[in-house]
Amino acid sequence: MALLTRARPRAAAAPPAGRGVRTRDGWWAAFFLAPQVLCLLLFLAFPLAFALVLAFVQWDGLGPVTFVGLDNLGAQLTSPAFLDATWNTIKIALITVPVGLGLAVAIAVGLNSIRGRAAHVYRVLYFLPVVTSSVAAALMWQIILADNENGVLNTSLERWFGISGPDWLFDPQWVIVSISIVTIWSSLGLNVVIFLAGLQTIPPQLMEAARIDGAGPWRTFRSITLPMLSPTVFFSTIVAVISSLQAFDQIYVLVDPYKNEGARTIVYLVWRLGFREFQLGPSSAAALLLLVLTLLVTLVQFAAQKRLVHYDS
Amino acid sequence: MKRALAVLALTAMAAAACSGGGGTGPGVRQDGGSGGKVTIRWSTWGSADDIKLYEEFTQDFEKRHPNIKLKLESVPKYADYHPKLLTQLTSKTAPDVIFVGDDNIGKFVTAGVLTPLNDKLAGPDSKSRPEDFGEGLYGGAKRDGTIYGVPNDTNPEVLWYDKKALQAAGITEDPAALHEAGQWTMAKYLDMNARLKAAGKAGSLFWNWYGSTYSFVGGFGGKVWDGGKFVATTDPKTRQALETLAKGYQDKTFLCVDLLPESDSANTQFVKHKAGFYAGGRWMIDIVKKGGEQDNYDIVPFPSPDGKPMPGAVAASYLALNKDTEHPKEAFTFLTEFVSKEGQLIRLKSGGAVPSVKGAESLVLEGGYPKHAKTFIDVRDTGFANYPEEVAVPGLTFAINEHLLKVWQGKLPFDQGMTELQKLVENHKG
Amino acid sequence: MAAITPTPGTPGTPRRVRPGQAALHAVLLLGGLAMLFPFVWMLLTSFKGVHQMINNPLDWLPDPWRPQNYPDALGKMPFGRAYWNSLYIAVVTVALTLLTSAMAAYAFARIRFRGSGVLFVLFLATQMVPIQVTLVPLYLMLARIGLVDSHLALILPAVANPFAVFLLRQFIRAVPVELEEAARIDGAGRFRIFWSVVLPNIRPGLGALGIITFLTSWNSFLMPLVFLNTEELATLPLLLQRFSGEHGAVEYGLILAASAIAVVPTLIAFLIGQRRIINSMAASGLGGR
Repeated sequence: MALLTRARPRAAAAPPAGRGVRTRDGWWAAFFLAPQVLCLLLFLAFPLAFALVLAFVQWDGLGPVTFVGLDNLGAQLTSPAFLDATWNTIKIALITVPVGLGLAVAIAVGLNSIRGRAAHVYRVLYFLPVVTSSVAAALMWQIILADNENGVLNTSLERWFGISGPDWLFDPQWVIVSISIVTIWSSLGLNVVIFLAGLQTIPPQLMEAARIDGAGPWRTFRSITLPMLSPTVFFSTIVAVISSLQAFDQIYVLVDPYKNEGARTIVYLVWRLGFREFQLGPSSAAALLLLVLTLLVTLVQFAAQKRLVHYDS
Repeated sequence: MKRALAVLALTAMAAAACSGGGGTGPGVRQDGGSGGKVTIRWSTWGSADDIKLYEEFTQDFEKRHPNIKLKLESVPKYADYHPKLLTQLTSKTAPDVIFVGDDNIGKFVTAGVLTPLNDKLAGPDSKSRPEDFGEGLYGGAKRDGTIYGVPNDTNPEVLWYDKKALQAAGITEDPAALHEAGQWTMAKYLDMNARLKAAGKAGSLFWNWYGSTYSFVGGFGGKVWDGGKFVATTDPKTRQALETLAKGYQDKTFLCVDLLPESDSANTQFVKHKAGFYAGGRWMIDIVKKGGEQDNYDIVPFPSPDGKPMPGAVAASYLALNKDTEHPKEAFTFLTEFVSKEGQLIRLKSGGAVPSVKGAESLVLEGGYPKHAKTFIDVRDTGFANYPEEVAVPGLTFAINEHLLKVWQGKLPFDQGMTELQKLVENHKG
Repeated sequence: MAAITPTPGTPGTPRRVRPGQAALHAVLLLGGLAMLFPFVWMLLTSFKGVHQMINNPLDWLPDPWRPQNYPDALGKMPFGRAYWNSLYIAVVTVALTLLTSAMAAYAFARIRFRGSGVLFVLFLATQMVPIQVTLVPLYLMLARIGLVDSHLALILPAVANPFAVFLLRQFIRAVPVELEEAARIDGAGRFRIFWSVVLPNIRPGLGALGIITFLTSWNSFLMPLVFLNTEELATLPLLLQRFSGEHGAVEYGLILAASAIAVVPTLIAFLIGQRRIINSMAASGLGGR
């Protein structure tokens, strides 16, 4: 029992930095940070700043630039298209993040607990969607989800359960579910790999000790695995939330949002305003709002991290 | 482990150095200073097969103009082409000669990034005259008499029909024969669709784009734009046409190609005789050929209210000159040869387009396929590219189609759909 | 490196099949088959001819088998060159990303400097906006420094990867500080500690990150589409896009054969990578040597 308590989350103690190296540390930090920061400034930060400035102007990419203040932001915030897109985006995030990560943790823990040849086979299986070409995957899912005599899912539902299934791809309500299924299917493998990597850093002695203490599998999972895995889970949650808020690519191959208003996300709107209609101002305004939304959600997660995530030190 | 990491780091540095050296080779703007050779960059979209068709023209051109080297820069999909072009124009890295689609040309004309071509086309270096291209084809490429782009090739929208499918539905009359007799009316066409539907088939397959929709509207005698105004929702004939379409889509007399799953696409349905008509261009030859029963198919124009021939829609794209080109002379040489009769005869030899220039009709007629291939020429000569009013507003055509798709699916009551359509167009014109 | 060796733990109990194991296998296998399905379908369809795709699109097995799709697909476009382009871009991107992001992650995780927290949040914030937003400014910038239409235009922006820094920071924070303390007492400098103590201990993290970075680069479509003009520089995804025409295709067999050709190296990379990465840790206990 004593061991279990020790493995519980505790505040990350600051590394005991030796006295007198403080000033030098600044230089070391600069040295270690320099390559990333340089690339980042040039290729992410600068374009981002530029794009955000565009949110306050009217520009078609070719003609003159006119400053319009908050008009673009106001227009987006009151536009039904933007509000619908925001709601669609949030719905996708609310489904894919918990379900996708929950499944990935469960599968990773399962895979981690078995050894030998079978484990290899499973790992490869779960990773296959990640390498399956998106064209093939989209074709396949379209066949599965089609609402006609060829649709695998609906014909099966009809035959075995007498249920007539919804139009998975073209019904604006159901398309969110379809998108979520395909997104989870395609990203599961990567999350499993990350979690497996995280699980490998848990000292086996801890698990062993817990077992000797008589803790069951669930208890071990709750008290050791999950706390020890929490930094990785935290990372994956942040990434999954951000990427689900940026959802566009997977949707685009499955069902072109042009054909289904339920599949229109904020990034789709950004793309459309910017590149179909050449309205870089409103497009950037929508993007700025997306950034604010993402930042807010991420800050909330970081705040929650203090209570939920365990760092060894 | 240590060694592995060291190797990794070394590889990284070496490779970065390599790619630095190799990557900067083909620069953004290649002036080809060596030997007075000028490189003309030109851009288009297309699949591997489409791009291959340009090879022969390029070789021929470079042989006749040893001082010019052509460099084709293409993207695979039409939808991706204009966004990239915009980015290139913004940063002044766009090619010297550019393809522009009929739904985007208006925007670039307004922005003033294209060279006016009237003088050059009328000049001594020009291989063809402005009049060699049907007036209706210019669409948004001509504004107030100034030409900013030359139609490089076209695709007139016609109705392909499946004789077997019609027969199976008990239809004895041949649409092309009716057309020749001046009896190819909208009423007849709708009647055939109803019979196909009753026989368990789809009547017609339409892409959701202006070519099919506006041709259908034309068949009712309606107009979409009139004197700069969007009249589709107010003109009673147009409204009737759109309502007929919406009803047809909802009871599956008409199928919207955009909404069909890939596994059971319009192409496969048509070659499996599951539909009577399929609205499309000359590119359909490739599809019916792959189905293996090409003689079973023929073409007819869209029907008119009274059976008399009427203008139909023609998809066009334009070749335009980048205003910022550093080699306007050589760039124009390429442009004019590309769109000239000789140029089109070489580059359209195979493939599914119809020449835009008069005098190159033999390309379409020679093979004798489909039987009424001349219909392509007729539609081209009397047809129209999308309304200049519509293409002048970037994204408007796209927004209209997107909205109509909702109407076709019955997601909105028809009247509400029309009210919203009018609002949408007015907002865009802003 | 003696300090890393964990106190000898109890030797692993001999494996026997526990009651839950069978159920676990059943569930994992079932899920795995769902994952496998589209992949197998892709492979099978890649052997189908046009005729079968038109008439019986739902057939499971090709009839007749048409291996000719593969040479046909290969002959249609310069696959070899595109392969090489994609491969070396991905490898260079992975190598540079691993090195630079591990360095940055180390700074954030272990070095105390003023503004560390703020800088880290700013770091992350730059990746909270999708590429579609920054595409035009990024293009303007790359055009200015003359990198458009070169592979560096794909590599350098991809190396700027806040998520990678974040991921590795999470891993480094899980490395016991005592290991570094011990090395410091042995007289190792900052870089030495980073290189010989920290890096080996986050090997699973580096492996996972390597796989992700490789795949992202390998599958990247939008960036090459916009930044490359010259045919010779084209990457594999650009080539694959060229298979289908504007009006939908009928030759799915050919398209999927091409897709399969593109997928195989990533699969092999994973097969090699996952064995080494995930298993090495399990095999050798904690810490790498």
